[in-house]
Parts: sequence; structure tokens; C-alpha cells
Amino acid sequence: MAATTSLGPRALLASLRVTILQFLADPQWIIGSAAAPVVFALAAFEIYRFSSPELVLFAILGGGMMSMWAQTLYGSGWAIGQDRFLGTLEPTLGAPVDYIWVVGGRVIWNTVSGLLGGAVVVGVVALAYGRPLPIHDPLLFTLLFVLVMLALSTVGLLFTAIFVYSRYAGFVQNIGEFTFYVITGCMFPILILPSWTRPFSLAFPATWALEALRAATFTPYQGLSWGVQGDLLGTLVLSLAYIVVSIGLYRRVVHYLSDTGGGSSDDY
Amino acid sequence: MSEPAVEVRQVRRTYTSRKGFFFQEKVETEALRGVDLQVQPGELFGLLGPNGAGKTTLVKILSTLLLPTSGTAKVLGIDVAEDPRRLRPRIGLVLGGERGLYNRISARENLRYFADLYGVPAATQAGRISKVLDTVGLTEAADRRVEEFSRGMKQKLHLARGILHDPELLFLDEPTIGLDPKSARDMRKLIRDQVANGVTVLLTSHYMFEAEELCQRVAVLSKGRIVARDTVAGLRRLVGGDRTLEVEAYGFEDAEVRRLRALAGVSRIVTEEFGPKQRLTLRVPTGGLGVEEVRAALKGRSEVEIRERRTTLEDVYLDLVEEEAN
Repeated sequence: MAATTSLGPRALLASLRVTILQFLADPQWIIGSAAAPVVFALAAFEIYRFSSPELVLFAILGGGMMSMWAQTLYGSGWAIGQDRFLGTLEPTLGAPVDYIWVVGGRVIWNTVSGLLGGAVVVGVVALAYGRPLPIHDPLLFTLLFVLVMLALSTVGLLFTAIFVYSRYAGFVQNIGEFTFYVITGCMFPILILPSWTRPFSLAFPATWALEALRAATFTPYQGLSWGVQGDLLGTLVLSLAYIVVSIGLYRRVVHYLSDTGGGSSDDY
Repeated sequence: MSEPAVEVRQVRRTYTSRKGFFFQEKVETEALRGVDLQVQPGELFGLLGPNGAGKTTLVKILSTLLLPTSGTAKVLGIDVAEDPRRLRPRIGLVLGGERGLYNRISARENLRYFADLYGVPAATQAGRISKVLDTVGLTEAADRRVEEFSRGMKQKLHLARGILHDPELLFLDEPTIGLDPKSARDMRKLIRDQVANGVTVLLTSHYMFEAEELCQRVAVLSKGRIVARDTVAGLRRLVGGDRTLEVEAYGFEDAEVRRLRALAGVSRIVTEEFGPKQRLTLRVPTGGLGVEEVRAALKGRSEVEIRERRTTLEDVYLDLVEEEAN
């Protein structure tokens, strides 16, 4: 009989590994991870190319973020959907490990592959238009980029759990994608949105992470005025809260699947 | 006697779905209606039943994937609803069919993934994977993508995954469904090997010959209820005889059927029609009624064909399911 202690981290790594293998096995990954970000970047750049350099930079960062979010959200919607589609949900749920570890591995990869998209955006703009991103503190920028990834991963994790309850995950995914673009201020500062939207914006860790990234990149930056440290703290606290809520939600999800028989569409 | 490997008491399971949009109507389907069952350690137990009988629901409950609506189910002494996490490393589940595997990665990678999920020790993992691949005869195909596999190969990989973590009890849900005869025979041998190695097996099947060949005891599930449970020989006795006489003619008079029914030892007559012909199937005990007595009861009708054969589990099953339906 196998030992069952400390299986979670091992399951997370196994899930991450299998997700990467499956990702690479299908050459169409290039569409989501490279082609789509290029389209995002070019569109964003063309809209703002005659504006101030700061605005152009804002657009490039926003384009990268949109691309990363699109990838994360797509991956989140598919994280459980693929198990349902392949019929692997039951064998996976039958394993002696919390399902959240398995989904966690997938969400991490989806966010990392989104990061590849973000890098493509920056690269395309630098190469095609001769405008490299003026990063003053590359170390801080990299750290904050990782933080953005963490923030997106936690949002993705929460979304995967919510998608289990909906048969229309794809529809919810589309709504979520565009709502996120607006509410997190990917392409414009959230300060220009009506004040009633502010609580919704601030409820997303990604909003804070983006603010931190911009505050570190632009000098001066007219953001939420909490500075890099304040934004950083906000991102970490919210990300942690999302993880805690996700763990609770996943316990409910697994119970819901056991209770409703929603793990498969087989006959009885 | 030792503690049963599986003990099910009055298990019921109801699925609820909703119809309509504004005024939703709740639709309830009773998949299991008070099932009692015991499987002993080391036994190969067969669960038979038509589509929709509740076999898969019962297997899912016993393998902790589904909660019973009421009743209790214990596997290896552990309540499946109370402590599923403790039970899972000790049981294996093999669901039949084309699905249930990651198609774009190799068989070995599939097994490696599930070995990690089941906590197969890292130091012995590679060796264990090679061993189960060898056991199911997939060593040569181990590094090929699963999407290139035939149905039979996928089914073997399902079994390899089910036994990967060395479970004490294996649930096999229709393990040979859709397989060609050779692959099905190979699979049955693999199942027998598991039992020979001390693994308790609960098998569901549509195929009566399979249950007859493999199982020490069987239960017949129909419309969510167990309608019979015994050894194969015991079930034959239950339906009135281990011999079957099939009598075919272009229609029988009611009087002829009454005369046959009145013959000593005839416990049951089933009537079927096919084309212009009618077939009467009589269950009779060993040493009882013979072909000549039947011919005499039909007063020498020349066109009548009479065949004698052993009552199969399929006959028993059809009788029981028909009885339940009536």
C-alpha cells in the first residue's frame, strides 16, 4: 500500500508536468501563446502609437497583461473541462489527494504560458517598432512580473472552481475575459472608471499587481497612490485570500461532484 | 469468518435533475433502491444487470466517487462516505471504455502521473510502472502516445493504472466491453491473475459467459434492486433447472402449451416469437424430463424441433430480469 502523506506538492508537480507534456504535444499551442499575444500587442500599439511614450508603454504592458489573462482564463475554464472531456475526472478524483493540487499544477502552467505571451508582446513591439520597454529596474520589474503571475494564478484557481458549477463555462469565460480587461485597468488606469466600479477592481489581486508593476515602471505614476509597497502588499494579501477561498471552494466542489454524480455523464 | 471486503446495507441512490427554465421541475431518478451486498476477501464477485440497472452507480459509490443517498457501504472495513481518503490508496478502479486516459502522452507518462497521485514511492516508481506494463503486455508500446492505441490496448492500460498502486481490492466496470474476442480473453486472464495474487475483485458485466467463466458468486441487479445472488449453480437451481429444452414450431396451440406446462419437472416456460416461428423454452432439472416426453406431449407433430442444452447464466439472468420487469 502506498503512503498518502504529503502527496499534494507531488501531485501538483505531476499535474504541471503532464500539462506541459500535453501542451507541447499539440502544435496548436502556438495560437494561444504566440499568435494571439502578437495581435493584442499590435492592436494596443496601433491605438496608442502617436500618444506620449508613457501611454505607449501603458498599452504595451496592458497588451501583455490581456494576453496573459486570456491564456489563464482559457486554461482555467479547461482545467476541469478537459478531465470531463477525456473521462479522466473520475480516476483523478478517486486518487487519495485533494483535487486542488492537480488543478493548481494546471493553473500554474497556464499562467506561465501566458507569461510567454507577455514576453512575445514586448518582443514584437521592440522589434517591429524599435521601441524597447524602458525598464529602469529590471530586477524589481521581474519580481513584479512574477507577482502578476501569482495574482493571475490565484484568480484562475478560483475561476476553475466556479466553472464546475456552470455548464456554460465557455460563456462565463468570455464574459470574464472582457470584464477583467476593463475592471483591472489593463489598457487604462482604473481611476477613469466610475467610482462604483472601484470595489470590484480592488477585489482582484491582478489589479494591485498591475498597479505595482506600473508604479515601478513609470515615474511619476498617477495610480492608486499606495506606492509599490502598498500595491505589493495588496497583491499578496488578496492572492492569499484567493488561495484560502479556493481551497474551501474546492472541498465543496469535490463534495458537489460526489453528491450530484457530476464527475461524468455516463449512464447509471 | 473474516470481515467482508465489501459490505453494503440498504444503499439507495437518487439522482436529481431539473427540467424547464422559469418554473423548474425537479426530476428524481432512483438508480439504487435498497441494495444489500457482501463480497468476501479474495473473492471474484460478479455484478450483472442490463443498462440502467445501477451497476456503475454502485461501483462509483464503493470506489468513493459518489455518495449514497442513504444506507451504508463499507469497503475493507472503511465507510466510503465517512473516510474516503483512507480507503482510496487501498482500492483500484477500472472503468471501461475508450476514455479515461490522457491521449496525447505515452502510456508510461499516464502511469507515472497516476503513480504520483497515488503516492507510489518515487524510489520504486519506475520499476513498478515497468512491472505493470509487462503484466498487461504493453511493454513494447509503453512510450507510444495513447491516441495511437487500439481499444484493447487502452483497456489494458486502464487495468495497469488500476493495479499500479498494488490495491487490495479492484473494481472493474465492464472491463471487456467493446473488445475483440482475443483481447477480451487476454483481459479475463489478467483478471484471473489478479485474484490468484490475492486481490479481491468486484466485476460488473453485461456478458453472462464472462461472469460464468470468472466469478465464484454473482448478483443480478435489475432496476436498482438485487433480484438474486448466489453461485452460478445456485442461480440455475433458482430458475428451476440446470437443463433447458428449446421447442420450436410454426405456432403452438394453447392446449399444447398447457400440456407441456403440466409435465413433471417443468418449472418455467418462456415463449418467444421470431418470424413465423414460435419457441418455447423449458427449464428442467438434471435427470428429469427428456426430449421424448416433450415430443409425446406434442402428440408427434413432425415439424417440431427440440434441442437440449445446459442452462446458461444468460438464461438465468433473462428469467430474473423478466420476472422483475413483470
